[in-house]
Amino acid sequence: MKTSFRLLLAVLVLATAGATARAAVADNAVRTSIAGIDVIAYPTGVKNVVTFRGSLPAGDSLAPEHNIAVPTLVGAMLDQGTLKQDKFALAQKLESVGATLSFSVDGTMLTISGKCLAQDMPLVISLLAEQLREPAFPASELEKVKKQLAGDFQRALESTDYRANLAFSQAVYPIGHPNRDAPTEEFLAAVQSATVDDLRAFHRTYYGPAAFTLIAVGDVDPTALQAEVTKAFSGWTGGKPTPAPARARPTDAAKDQVVFIADKTNVSMIWGQATGLKYNDPDTLALRVGTNIFGSGFTGRLMANVRDREGLTYGIYSAVLNDTHTDGDWRIVANFSPELLEQGIASTQRQLTEWSTKGVSPEEFAREQSNYIGTYKVTLATTTGMANALLASVQRGYGVSWPDELPKRVAAMTVNEVNSAIKKHVRPESLVLIKSGTVPERAK
Amino acid sequence: MKARFLPLVLVVLSVLGARAATPVPVQVDGFSFVKTVGPISEYTLASNGLSVLLLPDMSSPTVTFMVTYRVGSRNEVTGTTGATHLLEHLMFKGTPNYNREKGNSVDQFLERVGANFNATTWLDRTNYYATIGSEHLEGYLAIEADRMRNLWLRESDRQPEMTVVRNEFEIGENNPTEALDKEIGAAAYMAHPYHHSTIGWRSDIEKVSIEKLKEFYDTFYWPDNATVTVIGDFDPAATLGLIKKYYGVYPKAPAPIPQVYTEEPEQTGPRRVTVKRAGQLGVVGVAYKTPSRRSPDMPALQVLDAILGRGKGSRFYRALVDTNLTTGVGVGTGQFHDPSLLNIYADLAPGVAHAQVEQVILAEIERIKKDGVTAAEVSAAINQILAQSAFRGDGSFAMASTLNEFIASGDWTLYVTFDDAISKVTPDDVRRVANLYLLEDQSTSGWFIPIVPAAPAANN
Repeated sequence: MKTSFRLLLAVLVLATAGATARAAVADNAVRTSIAGIDVIAYPTGVKNVVTFRGSLPAGDSLAPEHNIAVPTLVGAMLDQGTLKQDKFALAQKLESVGATLSFSVDGTMLTISGKCLAQDMPLVISLLAEQLREPAFPASELEKVKKQLAGDFQRALESTDYRANLAFSQAVYPIGHPNRDAPTEEFLAAVQSATVDDLRAFHRTYYGPAAFTLIAVGDVDPTALQAEVTKAFSGWTGGKPTPAPARARPTDAAKDQVVFIADKTNVSMIWGQATGLKYNDPDTLALRVGTNIFGSGFTGRLMANVRDREGLTYGIYSAVLNDTHTDGDWRIVANFSPELLEQGIASTQRQLTEWSTKGVSPEEFAREQSNYIGTYKVTLATTTGMANALLASVQRGYGVSWPDELPKRVAAMTVNEVNSAIKKHVRPESLVLIKSGTVPERAK
Repeated sequence: MKARFLPLVLVVLSVLGARAATPVPVQVDGFSFVKTVGPISEYTLASNGLSVLLLPDMSSPTVTFMVTYRVGSRNEVTGTTGATHLLEHLMFKGTPNYNREKGNSVDQFLERVGANFNATTWLDRTNYYATIGSEHLEGYLAIEADRMRNLWLRESDRQPEMTVVRNEFEIGENNPTEALDKEIGAAAYMAHPYHHSTIGWRSDIEKVSIEKLKEFYDTFYWPDNATVTVIGDFDPAATLGLIKKYYGVYPKAPAPIPQVYTEEPEQTGPRRVTVKRAGQLGVVGVAYKTPSRRSPDMPALQVLDAILGRGKGSRFYRALVDTNLTTGVGVGTGQFHDPSLLNIYADLAPGVAHAQVEQVILAEIERIKKDGVTAAEVSAAINQILAQSAFRGDGSFAMASTLNEFIASGDWTLYVTFDDAISKVTPDDVRRVANLYLLEDQSTSGWFIPIVPAAPAANN
């Protein structure tokens, strides 16, 4: 299941942010291949903090035909014990020095996140290697993880946001597309039927250095990092290249859907479409800039009008999402009180029509270019921001020079390119509208 | 921050240690130097009492500028609950000098230069901040200072903003744990204004008048009720000059800032609440009265908090999550100006009874009170807290948001000294505070009981 929507959103925002006014990122990044792993060290001025990010292709879309939950379960079992030690011993080693190391699985990738004090970098690297290379998959722990997931997903069913996202992914992506979430009941049935052997087989096939990227940012010595990675990962083989699935074909899903949940005081709305575009397609950056002008921040058209002027929502935004590994989607996301839902949708529709037919103005475009420049500097000022941006750049096939290149692309862009991308790729008549919550009868 | 329960990542707001060399104070006409503690220097603008904290950090060419007003939902009374927060929203509506029509409002300026900015309200304080490229500091500082005293407060702005805030309230009500947390807080506090959550009661959000909000603004938004914090890449002397230029135009508050004098009467028995709403799975909450953040017992309580609920090695993880009684458990010790709560929230697994989980929680607490904790547990907890503290030095915004809470607690120097206090906590300290504060008669427990829809939840 795609549990890392928020992380992806953060990565996308970070990696599309603006221009550089400081030394080139590429000049400061030390990139090497060690034991087949793409290792990037990025020292910064921060003291005593190291942030890790990494990924390898082991996501849900790679599940064996007979069980869609296996990749998620493998990811969830990595910290539940290795051939050398049980989960409590692993946790004790990390917790006793205040370090963190976690794994999440989305449609395409296993993502690694970690943080530690500088002196504990060798420990984190060694534990990461142990968990990736030698997970034990104890049957008793698998049973506990299954119960845990069953509870987590049952609780998620009461979330209007979760239910809206689920319905949207199923409406705009066809079966088999990595961005399409499986129905919860189907997924939970797969969780229950998965076996240790299923997990071991998947791990054998997909876990390895072939497309593994590991990034460390902060108070890190590149030479020392390389030595620890060499020590911990030497001899590891296997893995698969990142898959290149077919792009989404239109679905025949209903264009207006209600996910009714009783006794909810807020309705979550998603209104959007699959774009058929990947991040590195020629029109995508222009579409992202145009989408920011429409629905990013407090002065974007959506917040300025639907919230600030009309008072119809606490939050509304538009974004281009889920296009790093596959073609993605364009969406408007909003919250509305049930009694203001119809008004809110009507107001949003007015803004959408205006934006999609008339495009953005040169003044708005110039402001957005300037916003990119400043945002870049601010976002890359933390180890987390830099690590997320570097990982997204590599995943998109650009390498570590992309954070330097991106602002130049934005600076060279024209308002006509933006308006052309909006007209070409956003099709208001094809958008799918999802309303999740206690939707009043008149709005159904 | 409109929740009394603190997420785990926020509850241990200790910081820093010796991350930077002790700065040399600067002399700027009009400012009194107060003190330097660790990397932070405090100044006062003599003409109006504005406090200023400076923390230079040159690790990136950015700066965070923040103003913290010492007014939060603890300053509200019946009829004005939520007013501090609503006023915070209205602070973005403009002034005669800076507004949307002129194209130079605070959000227009900050989104043009590319900033991380916002404002938040909590029990004891309201803060406004932006992290920006250092070259934009004066532009933001001028706008921030201007709205301290020149805000437009118009009924035509209140009406649409009220429904915005009401929707924020509604989003919170969608969450069972948040709904339970509000009711536990309301039961735990009878007299003290921590009784109500920062978002306020729905009827007050809807009906508080613009006149009341203006009265609130004119009572609390003055330089002598504020602290300005600057962290990042800036020149201290030049920045003090800018602060004087833009904030020095205001006098002190014309009347003394009203102080909250209501104290919570001693609780003399356990309290209990139940929330029944549509939902899927239950939640158990248990809260105990704890002291102010400035209490010398707070470091030991923080270590106790980590031993109970942080990580797979914690007591509650082993007793509740690893046994599949719950899908998660969190512990948060409130760190506020006035006595607060240590909250425990456990998300029930399917088919598990509330009473069983509550019993396990209470048994684990009794075990610590009776048998104490091990030196290894204390050592791990201390290291976790100190590492989290170091992680909050990653970027000027993280530092500012942490320092903000210490300012609100009434002693910003804890930002520097708290780590040292944490490192001295012993197993005996932990056992002592467990016996002193985790008392049945000082507890408030709550159950969220889901009313599961008759039909299957959904096919999604």
